[in-house]
Amino acid sequence: MSELSATVMNLARRDAQDKLRGRTKYTNDRIRPDMLHAVLLRSTVPAGRIRKLDVSAALRCPGVRAVATGADAPGLYGIGIADHPLLAIETIRYHGEPIAVIAAETEKQARAALAAIMLEVEPLAPVFTMAEALQPAARLVHEGWRGYEVITEGGARAGNIAWEARSSRGDVDAAFARPDIRIVESSFTVGRQSHVPFEPRVAIGSWEDGRAHIQTSTQVPWTVRNVTGRVMQLAPGHVRVTVPPVGGGFGLKFDASIEPITALLARMTGRTVVLENTRQEEMATCLCRENAEIRIRSAVTAEGYIAGREAVVLMDCGAYGGEQVFLTTMTAHTLGGNYKVGAMRLVSRAVYTNTPPNGAFRACNGVYNTFALERHTDEICDALGFDPMEFRKKNVLGDGDLGATGQVFEADVLGPMLDRMEALRASTGTSEAKADGRLYGIATTVGTWFVFVGPSAATVNLNADGSATLVTSGVEIGSGTMVQSLPQIVAGQLGLAPDQVIVREADTDAAGLDVGVGGGRTTVSIGAASVAACAEVREKLLRTAGEMLQTRPQDLVLRDGRVEITGRPGSGMSIPAVVAHAQATTGPITGSGAFAARNAPAMAGCAMGHFIDALDIPVFVVHEAEVAVDPDTGHVEVLAYRVVQDVGRALNPRAILGQIQGGVVQGLGYALHEEVTLTADGHIAQDDFETYRLPLAQDVVPVAADLYEGAPSMGPLGTKGAGEVPILAVGAAIGCAVARAIGKPVRQLPLTPPRVLRLLHEREPPPEFPHIAPGWASNTLG
Amino acid sequence: MVVTFQLNGEDCSFHGDPMTPLVDILRRERFLTGTKAVCREGFCGACTVHVDDEAVPSCLKPIGLVQGCAVTTIEGLSSGNQALHPLQASFEAIDAVQCGMCFPGMVMSLSAFMRDNPHASRPEIKAAMVGNICRCTGYERIVDAVADCLDQARKAGRLAGGIDV
Repeated sequence: MSELSATVMNLARRDAQDKLRGRTKYTNDRIRPDMLHAVLLRSTVPAGRIRKLDVSAALRCPGVRAVATGADAPGLYGIGIADHPLLAIETIRYHGEPIAVIAAETEKQARAALAAIMLEVEPLAPVFTMAEALQPAARLVHEGWRGYEVITEGGARAGNIAWEARSSRGDVDAAFARPDIRIVESSFTVGRQSHVPFEPRVAIGSWEDGRAHIQTSTQVPWTVRNVTGRVMQLAPGHVRVTVPPVGGGFGLKFDASIEPITALLARMTGRTVVLENTRQEEMATCLCRENAEIRIRSAVTAEGYIAGREAVVLMDCGAYGGEQVFLTTMTAHTLGGNYKVGAMRLVSRAVYTNTPPNGAFRACNGVYNTFALERHTDEICDALGFDPMEFRKKNVLGDGDLGATGQVFEADVLGPMLDRMEALRASTGTSEAKADGRLYGIATTVGTWFVFVGPSAATVNLNADGSATLVTSGVEIGSGTMVQSLPQIVAGQLGLAPDQVIVREADTDAAGLDVGVGGGRTTVSIGAASVAACAEVREKLLRTAGEMLQTRPQDLVLRDGRVEITGRPGSGMSIPAVVAHAQATTGPITGSGAFAARNAPAMAGCAMGHFIDALDIPVFVVHEAEVAVDPDTGHVEVLAYRVVQDVGRALNPRAILGQIQGGVVQGLGYALHEEVTLTADGHIAQDDFETYRLPLAQDVVPVAADLYEGAPSMGPLGTKGAGEVPILAVGAAIGCAVARAIGKPVRQLPLTPPRVLRLLHEREPPPEFPHIAPGWASNTLG
Repeated sequence: MVVTFQLNGEDCSFHGDPMTPLVDILRRERFLTGTKAVCREGFCGACTVHVDDEAVPSCLKPIGLVQGCAVTTIEGLSSGNQALHPLQASFEAIDAVQCGMCFPGMVMSLSAFMRDNPHASRPEIKAAMVGNICRCTGYERIVDAVADCLDQARKAGRLAGGIDV
C-alpha cells in the first residue's frame, strides 16, 4: 500500500502562486506588438445565401495584410458528420457565423477594414426552433446533408435531423399493455447554458518551417490539430498545437472553432496572427449546453416496479451538428440511467436550426436528462402514492442490473450512497427554520454519468537529478489534473515527491494522441497512460540498480527517491546514482505508456447510432437541496446543499471538494437564473455580463460533501474523474425541491423568479410538443 | 494629451486619447497582463487595480482620470521575490485557485476591503464580492480565505487602524 500512501494527499497547486500574482501567461496574455490582429466579419442574419463577397477593397485598407474567406479553407469538419465550414461557404446558417476574416497591423485597422468588404446576402426564412425544423415541409438548414462525409458510421440522419441514436431493450409494448400498471407521462423543456470562461476563445497562429503552429486556449489540442488539417486540406501532421494555461473551459473549448483561422492567416502573411473573441462575440457564438425537449412515459406497478419506460429527447444542435451528434449517445446512459427498468426504449435526435451551434458543457446532456428523469420520478411517486426516497432506494441501479443498452452494472453503488446521504443530512441537520415563513422544499435526487475514457499517451523521462518529466497532451484548465492528480500519480509510482515530477504542458509535437481534457477523463486516461509509462521506467531503473547492487530487481523497491532492498529502509542507492549509471551504460531511462477505452459491451441489437454502447466507468451522484421560495417575488433561495459523490478513489480529497463546490454552483446558475434566449433575428440576447446572470457570492452556500470510495473503476488506483460530475444533478435537486415547496409540477429550467411566480399562480403553460408524435416509433427514422 | 501617474511606484506617462481605458494601457503598453480584461463593462472585477489605494475596475477608468494618481496593479502588490500578500497566501493555503483568471482582481478588491473592514463578517465579505465574479470555484473558499486572513491579522495584532497592506 506504499504506492497509495505516496499518491493520496491534499497536494497544493504548483500554479497557484503565479496565478495569484498575475504572472501566469494565458494565451490572451501572450499578445505582442509585432503580431497581426485578426477580426471576423460575422453574419447579421440567421439564414441566407451569399450572393456576392468581394474583399478587394478591404485588402487595400491601411494596415491590412490579408483577408480570407471560405474559399481559402474549403474543407468541412465536424464530430460524426463533416458539415461545418471554417468560414461560411455560399450559405449562412446562423446569426454571428464567420464569413470573412481580416488580418491587420492593429485591431483598430482590422475593424475599420470590415466596412470595406462587399457582402450581399439573400435572406432565407430562418428555422429557429426544433418544432419548426421537424415540420414535414420545413426548409432544410443543410440542403446538401446527403453529400456530407460521415466520419462515424451508424447514426440515422434525414433532413434537419442531424443524427439519431436509439436504444431499445425488452418488450416495451408488452410492458405498457400490462393490466397491473399505471402510465405516467411527463414533458420537460430546458434552455441553453453559456459557459462564460473568463478567458474567451483565443488563438495565436504562426507559420514555422512550412508548418502551422497554433497556441490556443483549448481543451483538445489534437482536435484543433486535426480540424486545422481538414479545413486547410493539409496533412494534420503539418499542424502543431501548444496550449498555455487555460482560463476556464467547462466544455466550450472541447471543439475547434476559431483556431484554424489563425493558421490560415499566418500562412498567407508569414506573420504571427492573433484572433480573440470579444466578450460579446464569445457569448453570442457560445457553443452552449443545448436547449432540449424531453417527453418520458413510464409504466409502473402498484408495488413500485418500473415495468416499462420510453422517451423522446430532442436536442438542438443549432446550425451545425458538432458535439450534439455525439451527445445523442448519452441519453441512453443518463435518461436511461439511475433506475432498474423492465423494458426501455429511448430515442435522441440532434436537430438542425438556424441558431448558433451548441456544444459540450460539463456533464453535457446528463444535466437536463437527470432533471427530467428525477422530476418524472417524483411525478410517478405523486401519482402512485410512493415516498420519493423509498421509491429511489427500491429502484436505483445495483449489482447485476441492466442499463438501457443492456449493459450490466457492477456492484451496489447508488443504494449505499443514498444511505450515506441520510447520514450526511443527520450530521449537518436541515435548514427548514431558515425558510422563515417562505415556502420550504427539500429533495434528494440521483444521477448517472460516466468517465469519457478514450485514448491517451504518456512519456516519462527520468532525469539524473532524480526528477521525472511527464510529457502528455494534457491541459490545465483549472481543474487541477495537471498540477495535482498527475504529479501525484507519477510520484507514487516512482517513489518520488510530487514536486520532483515536472509536468509538460500540451504540445502535439512532443506528446502522443489524446482525445482531450473533458468528460472527467484526464486523471483516469492520462493517469493510466502515465502509470504504464512509469512501469517501463521502473523496470529499467530496477534492472540497472539490480546490476549495481548485485540484487534481483524483484527484491528492490522505489521509496523516497531511493532504490532500496525490500524491507531494508535506507539501503540501496539514490535514484540519481542509478540514472547516472544507466545514462553512461544502457542510455537514459524513459518509458512510454498508452491507454484506451475497454469498450464495455452492450446487449446485441440494443444500441443504434451510439458512439459509446456501454459505459466503461459509470459515475453516480446523490444530490440533496433545501430551498425557500418567496411567494411574493418568486425568488428561490438555496438554504443548504449536500452531495454524495462516487469518486472511486479520492486522490486529492481537498481538490475534489473544490470541484464539487464549483460544479454545484454552476448548476445552481443553470437551475435558477442563467437564461439564454434568441432575439427575433436569431441573435443570442444575453451577450454580456449585464444580461446573463451568473451566480455571485451571495447566491451560494457551502456544499456539504461526502466522497464515496470503493465503487469499481478501471482508473489508476481505482480512481474516477471527479471534476465533471458535480454539476450533474443540480437542476434535478433544485427542480424537485422547488416543486415540493410550491406544490406545483416544475417542468422547465431555469426557475427564474417570473417563472416561479407563474408556476405558483398556474399561469405557466406546461410544455407541449406537437412535433413529438404520440407513438414512440413515429419519432424515429426506423 | 499627456497623462502622468505613478505605476507600481514608478513615474509613468501616457500620450494619447485620455478616454483610453486604463486596462488597455496596462495590458497592451505596459504588458502588465495580471490585470485581466474579461467583461470590460465593470461587472466581473477581474481588472481591479488600486488607484490611490481605492479598488477600481480599470476597464471603466479612462486614463485621463488617473492624472497624478498612484496606480497599483497585482504585479505591484507583491513584486519580485517579495512574500505574498497575506490574502494571496491564504488563497494558496486553502487551495482556492482553479483557472485563476479572476484571482488577481479578487486579490486587489478584497485586500482593499480587508484593510477598510478588519472586523467584517462572512455575509459582509460576500456582499463585498458582488463586483467580483468567479466561474470556477463557487466562491466559498474565497470567503473562507478572507475570513481566515482577517482572523489571523486580528490575532497577530496587526490591526491598529486596519490591516497593513
